[in-house]
Amino acid sequence: MSAPSAHDVCVIGGGVTGAGIARDLSLRGLSVLLLEKGDWGAGTTGSSSWMIHGGPRYLEFDWNTTRLSTQDAGYIVSIARNMVYRVAFIIPVLPHDKNNIERMETAMEVYDRFQPLKKAHPHVRLTAEEARQAEPGLSADVIGAVTMEEWGVDPHRLVFANVQDAMAHGARALNHTRVVDLLRDGGKVIGVRYRGSDGAMSEARARVVVNAAGPWVPEISGMAGAQVHLRPAKGIHIVYPHRISNFSISAESIDGRDLLLVSHAGFTLLGTTDDDFYGDLDSVDVLEDEVDYLLQAFERVFPSIRSYRPVRTTAGVRPTLFKWRRYEDELSRRYQVIDHAPDGAEGLVTIAGGKLSMYRLMAEETSDVVCRKLGHEAPCVTATSPLPGNESDLEPADAFGRRTGIPALAAIRLQSRHGSNAEVVIKAEYPGRMVCRCEPITEAELVHAARHEQVRSLADAFRRVGLAAGPCAGTGCVLRAAGIIGTELGWSASQRFDAAREFVRGAWLGRAPVLGHSGWAQEELAAGALRGLRN
Amino acid sequence: MGRADSLAKLAFAYGVHLTRRRLTRPHAQLSKLLETYAPDGIRPLLPEERERHPQLVGCINCGLCALAAGRVGKVRLPDLASSYMRLYARLGSAASDVDGDSPDLKAAASACPVGVPLDEVAAIVRRLAAG
Repeated sequence: MSAPSAHDVCVIGGGVTGAGIARDLSLRGLSVLLLEKGDWGAGTTGSSSWMIHGGPRYLEFDWNTTRLSTQDAGYIVSIARNMVYRVAFIIPVLPHDKNNIERMETAMEVYDRFQPLKKAHPHVRLTAEEARQAEPGLSADVIGAVTMEEWGVDPHRLVFANVQDAMAHGARALNHTRVVDLLRDGGKVIGVRYRGSDGAMSEARARVVVNAAGPWVPEISGMAGAQVHLRPAKGIHIVYPHRISNFSISAESIDGRDLLLVSHAGFTLLGTTDDDFYGDLDSVDVLEDEVDYLLQAFERVFPSIRSYRPVRTTAGVRPTLFKWRRYEDELSRRYQVIDHAPDGAEGLVTIAGGKLSMYRLMAEETSDVVCRKLGHEAPCVTATSPLPGNESDLEPADAFGRRTGIPALAAIRLQSRHGSNAEVVIKAEYPGRMVCRCEPITEAELVHAARHEQVRSLADAFRRVGLAAGPCAGTGCVLRAAGIIGTELGWSASQRFDAAREFVRGAWLGRAPVLGHSGWAQEELAAGALRGLRN
Repeated sequence: MGRADSLAKLAFAYGVHLTRRRLTRPHAQLSKLLETYAPDGIRPLLPEERERHPQLVGCINCGLCALAAGRVGKVRLPDLASSYMRLYARLGSAASDVDGDSPDLKAAASACPVGVPLDEVAAIVRRLAAG
């Protein structure tokens, strides 16, 4: 084992909160080590609804949470312009819904007071006929609707942009690196012991260790003998590889919960469930019952939903703060920063709970606690400092595409992932050669991801650049991508084959619960195209 | 306390809302909605497109149509039915991709194993790209 590295702060957990904390502390001038056991954003963050939303549901519980959430969403929209896009909801009302149209509009009128904080438009109210003109697929039973606006975001890129910025300000950030123990000196936590991506054990000393491990928070705090009590909640989404509607739609589930069909840039998420979870956090499966629960709710407002072919599912576990005697849906999405000094673990700080939309605020408050402990005085600047790729305005996509020799559509996607840094990405060799066509990815972008974005597997490439995210689900691109990444990372022919097989097997687990008739036909086709990779 | 306070404020807002509804005449707001979101490419499907939509977006990018026909403008046919139909909210910025000739799309569609109507897809993509 090599000599321990030394840092001001070690952050455990490379979800959006941990990455946000690493960025915040680095911008304040502290030396930071960020460790993630899997890939950036591969846990709860990547399984979210991909929305920076203000939280109208909190209006029933605490208006201040709505205000803080919308305000912080506004900051994120400003610093991550290339990654965000408007998501316009139609909220249809049916005769026996728990909230009638007047109640729904009242809620939206109140929410409109907060919408300017995140640069969103106010609601409108639609008659049944107008609602069906806006979305002809709505049920004939709809008696009216209101609209609501939120922001969509690619959480994988958001996490990585935070990691990138932290590294640009001196942080060291390692993915595929698992913390196996906390180093202690008496009652004080003085660092971490970790296993790197090559399997080697290392140690790092840190004046403060931040536990930002999401649902794994209790496991990390337990290494120091401190207890954090969460109530983990599982949530799944069905993923359609295209927009089902240009508008997003809400629906009431059989048990009265609000579900969402969210139209993102080139795909649709339908979700989510919210169930207490007691299983293995590293192996969260989607059940066909959960899929049926979601489809049943949407069939009521959008009868043709079962005609669409899903491409996969996602499953994640929310790190919800513990509360007894509450239904899962009623649990607060608030967060808590815990200094474990009173628990006999001086030097350990945990951030627990929260949600994607408030990640920056959670990072700021956690960083404030860390700075107080270190006696370091520097203000937080993450609300106004643009993330990488947002320092300047974007060139129009068609002009950028013409100049660099790629289709305009590929240019649009490239800019949405890299912002003004798209220029740097496309400068690599073979800029115009496409790897994945249904999610337009160029060979240059994949090479860049392997060289500069810590992509170490095809699943990492899925998160970083959207490899195999489109309708072919990898049939047309996985083998070629394995060749390109393998060349960059020095894989042998068998390692490339193994990488493709590992990806196909992983993708299968997410796809199996949603295979209908046409899905199975495509599986047969894919099995033929990817011969050998399924065995 | 927070919950009680929030519910009380919502109840007051509800009363104000009902009073306003009684005193003012409702007006159509659909055009306002569509104008608001047109710059973001968020606009309704036509009713006939909606009915056919599951088929229109059914492409699995197997590539068979590319063997049967050429390109629409600079775009391979499988990409037209997959990536361009996926990202149609942004097609206004990608009009240059689909400028140019069309091959025999009916012949290409006959090779499609999932029955994507490629001629309709091409017409929709071009309509949306034209803005």
